[in-house]
Amino acid sequence: MTIRITLPGRSIYARLGFKKGVTELKGAQKDKVDKAIDEAAEIIHLKGAARMVNLMRIDAAGVELEDGVLFSSGALAKMLSGCTHVLLMGATAGQNIMDAIAQATSSDNLTRAVVLDAVASEMTDGALDWIMDYVNQDLMRRVQHLTKKRFSAGYGDFYLENQKAMYDLLRMETIGVSITDRCILIPEKSVTAVAGVAALR
Amino acid sequence: MNTKLKIQKKMRQGLVILDGATGTQLQALGMPDGESPEMFGIKNPEAIKAVHQGYLEAGSDIIYTCTFGANRYKLPQYGLSDVHEVNKRLAAIAKEAAGKRGLVAGDIGPTGRFVEPFGDLSFEDAVACYKEQVRGLLEGGVDLFVIETMIDIQETRAALIAIKEVSDRFTICSMTFDTSGRTLNGTDLLSALITLQALGADVVGCNCSAGPKEMIPLIRQMKPYAKVPLVAKPNAGLPKLKEGKAFFEMGAEEFSSFGPAFVDAGARLLGGCCGTTPEHIRMLRKNCDGLKPQPPQVKSIGAVSSHAKTVMFDRGGPLIIIGERINPTGKKDLQQGLLMGKFSLASSYARDQVKKGASILDVNVGMPGLDEKGALREVVKQIALTTDAPLCIDTSRVDALESELRVYPGRALINSISGEENTLDERLKLAAFYGAMFILLPIAGRTVPKTSSERRKIIKDVYVKAGRYGFTKDDIIVDALTMAVSADGAAAIETLKTIDWCNSTFGSKTVVGLSNVSFGLPERKWVNASFLAMAISGGLTCAIANPESIELMSIKKASDVLAGRDKDASAFISFFSGPKGQVPDPEKEVQDKTSKERIYQAVIEGDRDGIQTPIDKAIAEGLSARALVDELMVPAIRKVGELYEKKTYFLPQLIASAETMKRGFEHLAPRLSEEGISSAGKGTIMLATVKGDIHDIGKNIVGLMLKNNGFHVIDLGKDVDHEALREAARKHNPDIIGLSALMTTTMVNMQEAVRSIKDSGLVCDFLVGGAVVTADYASSIGANFAKDGVEAVRVAEYLISLKRNTNI
Repeated sequence: MTIRITLPGRSIYARLGFKKGVTELKGAQKDKVDKAIDEAAEIIHLKGAARMVNLMRIDAAGVELEDGVLFSSGALAKMLSGCTHVLLMGATAGQNIMDAIAQATSSDNLTRAVVLDAVASEMTDGALDWIMDYVNQDLMRRVQHLTKKRFSAGYGDFYLENQKAMYDLLRMETIGVSITDRCILIPEKSVTAVAGVAALR
Repeated sequence: MNTKLKIQKKMRQGLVILDGATGTQLQALGMPDGESPEMFGIKNPEAIKAVHQGYLEAGSDIIYTCTFGANRYKLPQYGLSDVHEVNKRLAAIAKEAAGKRGLVAGDIGPTGRFVEPFGDLSFEDAVACYKEQVRGLLEGGVDLFVIETMIDIQETRAALIAIKEVSDRFTICSMTFDTSGRTLNGTDLLSALITLQALGADVVGCNCSAGPKEMIPLIRQMKPYAKVPLVAKPNAGLPKLKEGKAFFEMGAEEFSSFGPAFVDAGARLLGGCCGTTPEHIRMLRKNCDGLKPQPPQVKSIGAVSSHAKTVMFDRGGPLIIIGERINPTGKKDLQQGLLMGKFSLASSYARDQVKKGASILDVNVGMPGLDEKGALREVVKQIALTTDAPLCIDTSRVDALESELRVYPGRALINSISGEENTLDERLKLAAFYGAMFILLPIAGRTVPKTSSERRKIIKDVYVKAGRYGFTKDDIIVDALTMAVSADGAAAIETLKTIDWCNSTFGSKTVVGLSNVSFGLPERKWVNASFLAMAISGGLTCAIANPESIELMSIKKASDVLAGRDKDASAFISFFSGPKGQVPDPEKEVQDKTSKERIYQAVIEGDRDGIQTPIDKAIAEGLSARALVDELMVPAIRKVGELYEKKTYFLPQLIASAETMKRGFEHLAPRLSEEGISSAGKGTIMLATVKGDIHDIGKNIVGLMLKNNGFHVIDLGKDVDHEALREAARKHNPDIIGLSALMTTTMVNMQEAVRSIKDSGLVCDFLVGGAVVTADYASSIGANFAKDGVEAVRVAEYLISLKRNTNI
């Protein structure tokens, strides 16, 4: 699916280290940063994938999803405690922005590259927020809701190897994402995550 | 009396009360966690009947069937498959519960898929999906339909078209907006209203997502533009999270206290969504008893919309530009692209025209040898993904027009409908079904009517016929017909007369295809711009023109002011002023500074292009390259580092300064070499992102900072395995190896890399960093840590100084 989100300007600035009331940014410098942000937003085409799967078993060491998919992670199991289903989700900012970052880096414009990179990261993250908001909207009508947090492979004890199963279940090749032997998603600004579905009271 | 009239009568009598939430009520009646209301309702008809009866007893005039997710894409997820039967059963249960006490609305919700152009579900598949559900609901006996909790305008359109093509039942369309008035897919309140009421929704409004307090302003914003009644069905406040559990906490009393404010804002149908109960509805009915809701304030409205933007045709407002450039006539590159099935150039034209001031885009792909219907579909799809500007569908083919009106995610403008007898009815019928506005072309035969009076007759004839399809003057824009003055000296005058008549007598909006007027003349831009100024003064509403013409857009802005159509000249001032108002003169500023000050300032301000000239000047004044580096550039970059650490500067400023410094170094390199200063400087550092990790922006920043501070940097790139790292270390014998990793899972490869180098007998220091790397972790693997580029320089300098002292 194509995802359209509002440009998360504040979080892009925050990611770049801007601190309101402390950081001093003159007009011309701000114009340059804003221009790069706008250009990045123009070439980023967010695409996402999501899939709801049954949560079959959960214990301290990890979780088992339908079709025998196992995720060994104590932290993930803790987050999914009390859930009936699991939402798998993935998003990508696409290859164009990675080409633009590489081009800016190779033409000695790292300032631009850093801003483009921050926009791509925040927008990809924003795409997952969007997916969660979207799914939550539907779940609310079914008296359910998503866990506030989500978990991505590669963090904590949820090892990167789990990304392969997520990639396959989400069929991320359909949104233009590939995966390396080392379970890295290509293009770089691509991400997968897991959230739980619990009852709403 | 048919149901449609019955509902309309009910609305005239007073506020129509809808029902509340179904899910929470079923949960209270034993619906297990994770089970869908549809499945529970099928298995427990008495339970769902009890919920319906609860709302009817509480005072609901209309109840919704428990079929929100009963479509072919959702039902299989709930373990159900027979869409028709499920809808029929659940509708019949609701009808049985309602008896004669209330009306039953067949409830239709999202498919969970995204419809083209925003998703991969074809528009026709979406329509077919909803038709299947509609037929089941009709067989179950529903009185009306409600399409609700929608976030995708295209999916909402598909559902509404499905209902229109299967029945003539009364239909409520309700979308879900956040507090800013946009759906998750970016559709704003006004565009949703304009699109859906034009397409034939009998009621439009919002439900879910927000509580009553947040929803009242949304209804208030819609009211001035609504020609249909408005509906509001808020949640019982916003869900609260406590100890990991989510719940709604707004009680019936508080919820119902907002009823009168909703009526005041313009709602004529009120109910509750998630978290509301029969008690909420009972109290709402009580609190709104006797209130008289306002009828719609407008009967028709001149506006076109896209999925996320509305353009209102205000005859007293500034001239509206309809961008003309997406038209292959005379554009070889566009012709070639269209023939090859490449539509990116059309997208680029769209983007550029909007940037230059077009509010609407005319789309014409008619050319010999092209499948116009298919190409138009693709181009419109691409443009909808590129810009928010509403579109003007410009085609002479009826099949292409129909195909496009069907899938266009908004209220389109048709260019055009003429008085030609053989196509008039067909085109008016299409425009009416899809709710489009149209440009009325006053041509009725083989020749173009020359005089304004001939044109007026055709305009009146077409208008009368359009009226039979429900069109008003608000839905029509008259093309005043622009012909070449080179062929007929009176052509422009006749056009201006037509504009004046439409404006002052007939009472319609007008448009001209501007550039025709100058055909055959040299320097056409001046003729076009002058004609535009005259037409604006005569009251022209919009022009199909090229917004990339500076002359034209400047004259437009000025004419809008002079004709009193740009209030307070605000658009003019904003167009001709710089974004930041008074711009200081940079030349004057730099003249006041010495070349030394300018070099220092360039680094501090990250002015990459401003460092070379003062360097040349300083050298010419007799300063050495070394002095420039040691006394100006290095102190400046250290100052920048301090500012960064205090957060007075943020990352782009730090890097801009570092790049300025680098450019200065590169410019000075030959002189530094002449002065015998080595580029290796303080020491050699080899950098790499570890095996398995492809994130290298942080490493690149560190490399830049180190280079600027006099280190020789060898960058091995990203995803560097241990063997390659070891080989490079043997070859370059660095003082320090810097390793970066973004993820915890790749961070562990740092340890192996460090061990691998140490085991091979190479002696050097290690410096590690990255988003998840900590000082403790660095220490545990025998490495040093730096949190960012500034700290990396400091640590590297320290390590080198230690090494030198040890060697001494």
